[in-house]
Order: sequence, then structure tokens, then C-alpha cells
Amino acid sequence: AYSSRTLHLQQSARNMAAARRHKRVAASQPGFLRLKPDLDHSASRIGHKKRVNKNKKKNWNKYSDIQDVEEFLEDVRLQERATGGLLSDKSDDGLFFVDVGEQKKKGKGLKPLRIDLILQPDSQVPPPKDILAYQQPNARKLRLMAQKAEKLAAMGVLPRRERLLQRRRIPGSEKPVANNDPARAFYDLWRPDRPDTADPYYLEQTKRRLVKRPEKLNVKPSLLPAVEVAAPGASYNPDFTSHQALLLEAHETEVAKLKAEEKLARQLAVRKEDLATEESVFREQVEGLIEEEEEKLEAEEDDEGTAVGPTAQTEKKTEKQRKREKADRVKELQKKAERKAIDSRQQLFQLRTISAELRRREQQTSVRRTRRKDQQEREKVQPRRLGKLRFQAPDLDVQLSDELSGSLRTLKPEGSILKDRFKSLQKRNLIEPRERAKFKRKFKVKYVEKREFREIQ
Amino acid sequence: MGGLQKKKYESGSATNYISRNKARKKLSLSLADFRRLCILKGIYPHEPKHKKKVNKGSTAQRTFYLLKDIRFLMHEPIVGKFREYKIFVRKLRKAYGKAEWGTAEKLRGNKPGYKLDHIIKERYPTFIDALRDVDDALSMCFLFSTFPRTGKCHVQTIELCRRLSVEWMNYIITLRSLRKVFLSIKGIYYQAEVLGQIITWLVPYQFAHDHPTDVDYRVMATFTELYTTLLGFINFRLYQTLNLVYPPKVTHSQPAVMLHFDLLSDYLTSALLPFLPPRFAEPRWPPVPRPGGLQEDGEKLAERLKARQDQDRQEKLFEGLKFFLNREVPRESLAFVLRCFGAQVSWDKSLCIGSTYDVTDETITHHVVDRPSLEKQYINRYYVQPQWVYDCVNARMLLPVEDYFVGVTLPPHLSPFVEEKEGDYVPPEKLKLLALQKGERPEQEEEEEEEDNDDSEEEEDEDQSDDEDELKGMEEKQALGKASSVKVTPGEAKPVNRQRAEQEAKAEEKRLAVMMMKKRDKYLYDKIMFGKKRSVREANKMSAKRKALDEASKANKKKKLKK
Repeated sequence: AYSSRTLHLQQSARNMAAARRHKRVAASQPGFLRLKPDLDHSASRIGHKKRVNKNKKKNWNKYSDIQDVEEFLEDVRLQERATGGLLSDKSDDGLFFVDVGEQKKKGKGLKPLRIDLILQPDSQVPPPKDILAYQQPNARKLRLMAQKAEKLAAMGVLPRRERLLQRRRIPGSEKPVANNDPARAFYDLWRPDRPDTADPYYLEQTKRRLVKRPEKLNVKPSLLPAVEVAAPGASYNPDFTSHQALLLEAHETEVAKLKAEEKLARQLAVRKEDLATEESVFREQVEGLIEEEEEKLEAEEDDEGTAVGPTAQTEKKTEKQRKREKADRVKELQKKAERKAIDSRQQLFQLRTISAELRRREQQTSVRRTRRKDQQEREKVQPRRLGKLRFQAPDLDVQLSDELSGSLRTLKPEGSILKDRFKSLQKRNLIEPRERAKFKRKFKVKYVEKREFREIQ
Repeated sequence: MGGLQKKKYESGSATNYISRNKARKKLSLSLADFRRLCILKGIYPHEPKHKKKVNKGSTAQRTFYLLKDIRFLMHEPIVGKFREYKIFVRKLRKAYGKAEWGTAEKLRGNKPGYKLDHIIKERYPTFIDALRDVDDALSMCFLFSTFPRTGKCHVQTIELCRRLSVEWMNYIITLRSLRKVFLSIKGIYYQAEVLGQIITWLVPYQFAHDHPTDVDYRVMATFTELYTTLLGFINFRLYQTLNLVYPPKVTHSQPAVMLHFDLLSDYLTSALLPFLPPRFAEPRWPPVPRPGGLQEDGEKLAERLKARQDQDRQEKLFEGLKFFLNREVPRESLAFVLRCFGAQVSWDKSLCIGSTYDVTDETITHHVVDRPSLEKQYINRYYVQPQWVYDCVNARMLLPVEDYFVGVTLPPHLSPFVEEKEGDYVPPEKLKLLALQKGERPEQEEEEEEEDNDDSEEEEDEDQSDDEDELKGMEEKQALGKASSVKVTPGEAKPVNRQRAEQEAKAEEKRLAVMMMKKRDKYLYDKIMFGKKRSVREANKMSAKRKALDEASKANKKKKLKK
């Protein structure tokens, strides 16, 4: 940026130098009139200056004093701004007028507003000519250009700009219709497609055909129906028995809740035995202070310290003992084998009991099998534990007998369907139960009194 | 030791599952994006059988996904779109922060979006699979269409839901396949049959409701996004099966004006229907020939024919009747239900667009009112409360209008979704209904009963006293040895009812077999019978309760009358 700026300055300096030369020549003429008189007569002191080497490039600008030229040029510019040209070029009539003393009073003429005056151009220098406006198109040139364009268009070649514009339009990248646009169009999704003629591997690799969906995902996570109809007691105008049955159900759930609370309260309640009595308080205070009790404790400790029974010392086994042990082991094994042989022969006579036993076992296993199958069936319908929170069954929507209104007009709907649908989704294991995220502060809040309030006593 | 020893948790169930955070990091998505992706793709967390093994010895409660599912997720193209969106948001925020409005506008214009069509095709490869899941989608769409347009939820989503729900209702009206309606305190349950599938959905009431705070809106919005796309495609296909134009166009006598979609949808419910082609033969499911004896086939065919006849009769329930809805009744629900059964409906012009005739029309047959009283009454029309319409639909016949007149205490609205088994308690209202359906007319009998009830007690007492007197007289005569007035006459042969005799013989045999059982088996048998008769006992208890209530209410009435 610095280099371009200096270049710019040098360029402007060169331009100005040419203009200055002309005006300098004009100013040096004897009859030249200046607007501002120079009082200093500094021209006499021009000779006594410090001697500087002007052959160095550095010194060309540094030690050349162009103040006089600049002054002159400023003067010229001022003349042009104020009067629209050099004063010397103006005629006498333009500069002076004869004061005859006319006092024609203009009738309270509307003076132009100051803001309008401010907005007028404040220099008499005429604006430069717009060259481009005067440029006449070359008719021949234009004609040739048009002919060329026609020829190309006839061949099908578009000009570059159009080609770029068309290339930028990627098919399918036009503004996509939003999913929830109420005016969106649908089509037949299940129309039998044309079978893919390309190679299946190619289609997979180029992502034109999507990955096959695993079969397990087509199984619903719960066998409950999507919309469970309310009990007949939940009708807006129910009949007596079904309403009573529904009230009973609601009552029972409430009673169960109350019972659970009471049980908890009972378990946490303070027992009467744990309360402190005067005696126990006194004993605690006096613990370790009375001497008689200390002696007894010491005596007890001494008794417990003595060892009971002689310590066993390990001795090496002799050959005899080893042989004897081996013989014993062999005899044991023989006995066991004999016993086993006898048992297997006697089993022939125990067939009835054996078969009875087998039948009993089979019955047990079949009972267990049915129980397990029932449990599995039940689990298919239950809400599973999918996360940290358990599934909370929604409250039964029931209107009490005095809330029941006999007419549809005065009906006040009970329960929200949004909540009902949400709970149904949780019950069917489609989403996990979640609760609203609490606002957790990272840093503790600190309360500080303002200075003004601290000073107030 | 060497390295050939098997280490714990390196194979088996510990490697088949992956925790939620690990899965999220594997896909490099934020938690919200991960949840959204799982919901859209239909990937649900699993509870492993042995949590301690999967959790590598710890018993902390974690959410687990199958590793194969997460690996399948990695191939999903919209994961890339989520990441693009995240970057878009970051760039947009920077542009706003630097106050570069031009950049912000340009970015906004090129907002990245994604389509769910391939996901729906993958999750529901055939149309019938999609129809099986449409219950949930319908309930969600109807719910969202009743939300207020405050901006908490995208207004565009609400409008799309409204459009889809109106299209669905139109289809059901054309098909005339609504079967059951139940008005509960939560909302209105509808059940219809579409292409052999039974579909139940829930519609909330149109009153304003405040929204609960503990519901995760983002999750619901994601489900709605998926379900609106699904329902849109299903609607297209259903309309195609009926050779109707989709999306349905509105033709109305008034010049086409750009209306808010809410009003437009009302146009659809009202204006579209008169211009639909008249009822044509819908595709019916032909009876499937079954391998079996000729007898079976004949019976089954007869049953099916009867069922079809009943259905035809049911579909023309309100045909030819002209209804007018007063201001205070739920207009949309009633218009839907009435039109489903062939009625002509209209309402006050100032309420909504699409009213075809006015109150003053002479040919109106029924006027639905919900007020306690009405001043001006026309002669040729019945003034009924809205429950009459719903009860008629559930009973599959036109019920007597007298019970539903203006100002009358309505009979209870029974649920058509309750299937009572043999031993269960059947409320007396339901018994009345069944009797009506069979063609009897017990209301007259009931009226007589009610009138006679006050006298009946006295009469019973009188009868009893008469009998006693007779017996006493006879005893005295016998004691005196006189010939009593009773004589022996030749008997008459009673006609033997063959069926009754057979039944009695069977019962005898059963009783004998039960007597001959071993003690052990008898014990089991008693247990089973006890369980079976439990329902009967409960039913008896309920009826006793009801009787007590009825008597109490009658006593109250008497007291009031006396006063």
C-alpha cells in the first residue's frame, strides 16, 4: 500500500509540475496581479541557503522548496474557485461596477433558505465533461458484432455468460419443497417400480440403491394397539355401573398410593424404644468414670488373652504312613465301584419309582415352560425399562358424579390428548421416558450488597 | 498368563448392544438430531435380558440400542442432511452476529432440506403395511390440526395436518365405511373399515385446551413430520383406488377467492361433497373359498350374505333425511357422521361457509339442538339432541326420537367398543337396545310398567293374601274329611319338546359324570367352575346395585311428587 501511495503521489506531482510551469511563466510576467500580496519580500533572501548535494535522489524532494510555486498555485486555484477563471482573463465589466447609488428596495424578497444555500456548489469551477456520454457507437463495429452473435446462435453456441449461468443450475438443486409445506404434492409411492437393469453391485457402490433394512426392525416393539379406546365409564354420559367401575379403579389406584406413602412413613417413624430416657442419658454421661467397672473390664480382658489348646507342630510323614494312606485310598475307590455296580443292578427293581420320579420332573418342566411362555407373552405387552426413568402410568381420566354434565354443550373435556399420545408412545416402547431438563448452575450465585447500601447503617 | 485367554465382555451380548451416547458419537450427531433420526427411521431402544453383562458389570440404568441397528443407521442419507443443517445454522448465526444482512438473506434462500419418501418406502414396503400403522398417524394429525396457530409449533405443519385430516374424512364419507363412534370425556373415537383393515382414531374436541408442560414437543413434532408424510401418501393411494382426483379440488358457485386454508378446508367438507360422483360399487372383499365340507361353506356363505345385507342397510341409515345443525352443536363431527350415512346437512350461514339451506327450509326433517329449551319450533321436523345421531350409528338403526327430545334427560351413551361375553353384566340400557334391534318394541311395555309400578306392589300383596286364603280353605276341608271341590280329571298329553328333552338328557349325563369323578379331579373341577362363575356372580352383584339405585331414585321421585 505504501508503494502505491508514493507512486500515486509522484504521478500527481508530475501532472502538477506541468501546470505549474505554465502558471509560473504567467506569474513571472511583470504585470501579473496577485490576490494576496506577499509582505515578506522573501525573494531577497533566496541566495543565502545551506549547501546541499542535489545529485542524490533523496535530496530531490527533501531540499527543494516549492513553497512559492505552491502559494502561487493555491492562489490560482482560489481564483478559479471563486470566480470561475483567472482574474487576468476577466473583462473589466465582470470585475467592477459603477456605484450610482441605486437604492431600489426589493420588497421583502424571499431570501433563499440557508440550508438551500449550503447545498449549492461552493466553487465556480465547472464540472468536467463526461467523455463516455459523448462517445458515439461505431455503427459498423456494432453491426459486425451483431452478425457474429447471430451466426453463433444459429450454430447453437451460447455466449459465455449464458453458458456459465446454465451450468450453475444443478438439476434438483432448485429450492426444495419443505416437508411441512401445506401445498406439497404427493405421488403413488407404492407404484411397482421398473426393475433395475444395472448391476446390483454398481448400484450399491454408487449409493443409488439403499442398504437393505434388517428384518428385526420390522417387528413392532410392543403388541399393544396404537389407539386404546377408553373404558365405557369414560363416556360423556355414562351409564351407572360402568361409571362406578371406573371410579372404583381410580379409587383403588389412589388407595394404593396412599398405602405406599403410609408404609414409608411408618418405616421411617421414630420408635419409642429409641427415645432417650433419663436412665440411658445418665449412663452415657457416666460411662468410663466409675472405678469399680474399670476393674471388672480389666479382669475380663486378662481371661480372654490366654491361648486355648497346644499348637500343632508339623512332622514329616513316614513311608509307612504314606503306604497306609495309599491303601486306604484304593480301598475307598474299590468300595465305591462295588457300590455303583450294585446300585445299577438294583435300579432294575426300582423302575416304578424311577418312572414316577421322571413323570414328576416332566410335569415340573412343562409347568415351568407354560409359566415362562406366559411371562414372555405378558412382557410383549408391558412397557420395558428403557432408560433411567421408569414408565409412569397416566392418571385415569374420570369425571366425578357431580362433574358429569348430561349434555355435550356443557361438557368440560378431561385430560389432554397430547399427553395421552405421548404416554402411549412411551408405553409401546417407541421412546424412552424422559423428564424436562433442570436448569443447573455451573457456579454458585453470590449476593453482594452495593456500596451505597453497605454504607447505610 | 498368555493372551489366548478369553476376556470378559469382549463377545456375546456385551458386543451386541451399544449405549445411547456411544451410538450418538459414532454417528457424530447431537442428541436432539439422534433422537429425531431414530424416530424417523423407526429404530427403538432395547432392554437387554442381562443388563449387567451388557453394561460390563455395572448396574447403572442406560439406554441401549442394538449395534446392528446403529450400523444400519450410518448408511442413511439424511444423516448428511442433518450435518448440513447444523453448518447452515452456524453460518447464519455468524452472519447475523456480524450484521451481514445480505449474506444472511442469501443463506436463508439456500436453506438445506430433506425428504422422507425413501424412509416411508423402506419402512412400509407395501400399501397394506402402511394402512396398519395409520391409526397413530391419524390421531396425531387430528390432534395437531386443533392446535392454536401461535407459532410455538410451525404453522405450516398445523395447516398440512388440517388438510390431510379433511382429505381423510372426505374419503371415509365417500366410502361410507364409518362403523362406530364413541363420545368420551377425552375426545371422540371413530372406527372405520378401509380395504379390510379396521382403523380406530381419536379426535379431540374443538374447545381450546391448555397444553401440558411435561410433554416433549420436539419428539411429537418429529412424529408428526413422519406421520404427515405417511398419511399424505396413503391418501393419494386411497383416492386413486376410487378414481378420484388428488388433491381434491374445490368447485363452488362463488368466484374463486384466496382463502385461508382453514376456511378452504371447510369448503372441502361442505362444498366438495355435493359435487362428488354418486355412489358406485366399491371394491368388496369376495368370500374366500375354504376347503371344507359343503355344509360349512353353505353356512358361512349365508352368514356372509347376511352380514353384507346388514352392512348395506347400515350404510343407508340416514339416506333421504335432511338435517339442520344449530349453532351450539359440534358442527364438524356431526357433519362428518351424518354425511357418512347419506344425510344432507346444513347450518347457519353466519357460522361457516358451505351451508346449503337455511333454518326456514320446510323440507328439513331433523333439527339438532343442544339447548335446554327452544322458543320457535317448526311442525314438520323433529328436534333432537346430538346424542341421537351417535346412538343411531352405534345401534345401526334409527332409534325412537322421543328419548332424545329437547330438554329430556338423555339415556346414557354406551360404548360400542365393549364386547360383552356370556356371563358378564349387561346394563339394562344395552338390553333395551338389543331388544330394539331384534324388532320388539318394549318401550310401550316399559311405560305400562312404570305406571303400574306404584300399584304393582299393592297388587302383589293382595295376590299373596288370596293364595294363602285358598290354601287354608282347602286344608280345612280335608281335615273335615269332606270332599274337596277339587276333582280328578283325565289328563292331557303334553307335547314333548324334543330339543328340550335332549338338553335335559345331556344335563343329566353331565351331572352323573360329575358325581362319578375322583376326589382329586373333582377338586380341580370345582376350582375351574368357581372361576367361571365368578363373572356371573359379579354380574349379579352389579344388577343388585343397579336395582338398589333405581329403587332409591324412584323413592326420591315419589317423595317429590307427594310434596
